Amino acid sequence: MQNNGKIKITINNQSYDVENKLTILHATQQNDIFIPHLCFHPELSPYGGCRLCIVEVDGVKGYPTACTTQVKDGMTIRTHSKILQEMRTEILQLILSEHPSACLICDEAEECSDYQGTIRKVGFTTGCRWCPKDKDCELQKVVEYLKIDEIEFPVYYRNLPVEKKDPFFDRDYNLCIYCGRCVRICHEHRKSSIISLNNRGRYSTIGPAFNQSHLDANCEFCGACVSVCPTGTLSEKTKKWSGIPEKYNSSICSLCGLNCDIQILTKENKVIGTLPLGDPHLTGGELCVKGRFCLIELVNNPDRILEPQYQFPEGLGFITWEEAFLKASDKLKKADGNKVAVYLSPNLTLEEIVAAKQFAQQVIKTINITSSVLTNNLIPYISLAEKSISIEKIEKSESIISLFLNGNYNYAPVTLAIKRAAEKGIPYLQIGWINDTTSRFASHHLTPETGKEKEFVKEIVESFEKGKEVSPEISEVMKLFKDSSSTIILGPTILDLTEAKEILRNIEKIIKLTGSKLFVLNPYGNLPGLLSSVDLKPHQDILDKISKGKIDSLYLIGDSPFKKRPNVNFIIHQSPFPPSEKLKPDLILPTATWSEISGTYVTLTDKRKKLKAVVKTSEKVLSNSAIFAKLAKKLGKQELKFNKKELSKLIPKKLTIKLPEFNSKPKKNIVQIKTRAFPYTLIQEKNLYTYMGMYLNQLIEGLREIEPEETLIINPIDASKFDIQNGDNVMLKSHKISKKYPVVLRKTISPGFIRLITSNKTFEFETNPCPVKIRRVNV
Amino acid sequence: MKNLKKKITKIFKEFTVDEENLIPILQKIQAEIGYISKQGVEEIANFLRITEGQVYGVASFYSQFRFTAPGRHSIKVCLGTACHVRGSQNILEEFKRWLLIEPGETTEDKMFSLETVNCVGACALGPIVIFDNEYHGHMRIKSVDELIQKYRTEYETEREVDK
Repeated sequence: MQNNGKIKITINNQSYDVENKLTILHATQQNDIFIPHLCFHPELSPYGGCRLCIVEVDGVKGYPTACTTQVKDGMTIRTHSKILQEMRTEILQLILSEHPSACLICDEAEECSDYQGTIRKVGFTTGCRWCPKDKDCELQKVVEYLKIDEIEFPVYYRNLPVEKKDPFFDRDYNLCIYCGRCVRICHEHRKSSIISLNNRGRYSTIGPAFNQSHLDANCEFCGACVSVCPTGTLSEKTKKWSGIPEKYNSSICSLCGLNCDIQILTKENKVIGTLPLGDPHLTGGELCVKGRFCLIELVNNPDRILEPQYQFPEGLGFITWEEAFLKASDKLKKADGNKVAVYLSPNLTLEEIVAAKQFAQQVIKTINITSSVLTNNLIPYISLAEKSISIEKIEKSESIISLFLNGNYNYAPVTLAIKRAAEKGIPYLQIGWINDTTSRFASHHLTPETGKEKEFVKEIVESFEKGKEVSPEISEVMKLFKDSSSTIILGPTILDLTEAKEILRNIEKIIKLTGSKLFVLNPYGNLPGLLSSVDLKPHQDILDKISKGKIDSLYLIGDSPFKKRPNVNFIIHQSPFPPSEKLKPDLILPTATWSEISGTYVTLTDKRKKLKAVVKTSEKVLSNSAIFAKLAKKLGKQELKFNKKELSKLIPKKLTIKLPEFNSKPKKNIVQIKTRAFPYTLIQEKNLYTYMGMYLNQLIEGLREIEPEETLIINPIDASKFDIQNGDNVMLKSHKISKKYPVVLRKTISPGFIRLITSNKTFEFETNPCPVKIRRVNV
Repeated sequence: MKNLKKKITKIFKEFTVDEENLIPILQKIQAEIGYISKQGVEEIANFLRITEGQVYGVASFYSQFRFTAPGRHSIKVCLGTACHVRGSQNILEEFKRWLLIEPGETTEDKMFSLETVNCVGACALGPIVIFDNEYHGHMRIKSVDELIQKYRTEYETEREVDK
């Protein structure tokens, strides 16, 4: 043993000093000696499945695998002896005998790839030219390294059907080499364990239990398995035939308030995919489905508007930018500043927001600046967020309590932190009706009684204040608060509850009384940036003004607050996406968006994150700031500058969230309690996840499948009582309203609860949560 | 359904929440209920705080666990070396042809479930088939149908006697 914990080993007759407790593979990698491997992943536990990394060690019988054997002092290792290479060749041939490989070993492979000269030589499913991973495949690289040109074993094609039914990625297990990387990353890194190696021997399969679909098995679609697959077995639907990316650009995701770091894969001035940071072939699991699969579908969406349009008396028509500026400036020149309302989207960058603010205040001269997300419930919610801690601190707290968190398809870094913490033994308590990815790690799962959510929180407060006696359920919560410094994680589902304000007020009290920390989940990308740099009016105030006729023009910048055209004279819709059908704006101005512009996003803890421009837009699409600059010039305000340098000067050094005061009249909320006649609880949720005013699940098919709108989400246990199948129609009946809905069965909702997501501004049923009964509609 | 849950919860009482207990629990459930149902996997996963995928991954690895309800009679066809040499594959094919099921499945009328085993230690009698606990040595293709009919008639007479 040498000093500083290093030991001496000999690899291929050369001696090296390496750290103790390394595996042989790590030691060789550190010293730039290449050993072929397929199943090895640096962050996962060693598996020793592919057997390609076998080495010779003096004094050790047989050929140990380098990835599972630890180095010992004085070890003599040979990595490339003749017999080893021969054995590796044979092992690889065994792997290839079950992996379509005709093209890998074909004499004409090189010419064929350029000219496809031998197109009909092999069945189309077996050719490498038809594999999505062609030229980016680890198996291909090992074949090249070991120079295999024939396979001595009989070739066996498994002939499994390609699984295409699940959203976002396809699975062709005929190409699988059973390296187990996907299973291990799902289990060890993401801690979801949705897929496993099933059956045995040549009948082995990979997938969820009982051949369920990934969707039914509660897969989160984080895409970790897709990134780490060394072959073409798992492939993203959107990226399948894009080939090898030219560039990996670091940027951020803009679809929720966490603003995760990502890398954007580009090729030929086009975004072809997104990944979490790290080695593109080994990274995965840090993002949610939105960051991993939805961003690319947003920016390449066929619905995007790419040319300015004007509502002529005869209908909508394309116009040039010059005409568009003329028409807009004509209107804005005549308009009375106070009669114009400017709407801003929380997905705009900080630079765009200050540009819009400058334009609204100094060119239009209006004080009516708002955002449609600024509802009356959001204001107390975000005001709590001022005390929000940074995400790294979640894992360091002594206990974690999540309130109304739905982490299956959102907030991956937070759910991962919870799962990691719970695995370390930190008590985790989940309150709510969702059975998400963290539920399995919860030491307790509490569901407040229907209609008594407020009482639930109130009881905790009163017990602290007056030492009131509580139910055994709540005493569990109390114990956590009393024994440890806990972190409360607050999910945005709370915003939709009838008594949201009262609950939030009580939570505030709890935090004051217990001194626990808070982490508020913000569903809107750059909401902190928007709130801290502009004095916004509450959305309700503007709506009141519109209904009183005090507003006659609307300038919607990335926001889409109305489904139907309100009673105004002129509407400018400035967004990358088209307006809703019945809005009928007079002027449509297409803008550049995520990945096409650079800018700054702000998180709730005032962390600035940089969004980078990685592709160029078509000439007919302008950035928001460019549009403001041109319009300001047309309106005689040349002195205003909208370039990047000037705009960044306008951004305040320290951003503090400013919330408008809202004077809502105290309203008596009616709540209903679950009764025998209405045994189920309906949870209505507003569709929260938007980008530039567009509902993500309306824009992206896969997300629509995961979280369908206007569809009841029911637990299979409840469904079996009524013999309800996926896609059946169900009559939902509350005290006042009855309505028919289609049904999907998901285990993400606890039994006894029904979820209904809607993008309407108001809820269909009278209270939320609402006691209901269900009945299958007979056809 | 509820009955099943009761039985399973009773079994759980004997075990602690520890992943190591997975196989003993699976064995106990198989012994008491006869097979590992979808609901069973779900309950085990909830009890041990692991996922259904993990339970199924382990259970499907071992051939001792079955995932379909067993029939009234179990048929085990030996495919061990000695039986194989004497043509047990053909016997299995004949059973498959008569019962219209694959090994590991149960007939629609829940009468027979077909399984394969690898040697039962009676190689001299090969090819051997085990009906419940009755050993039938020196099987012929012809006797497959006879055996099936024999058990069917037995069952029917039993039912008539009951009436």
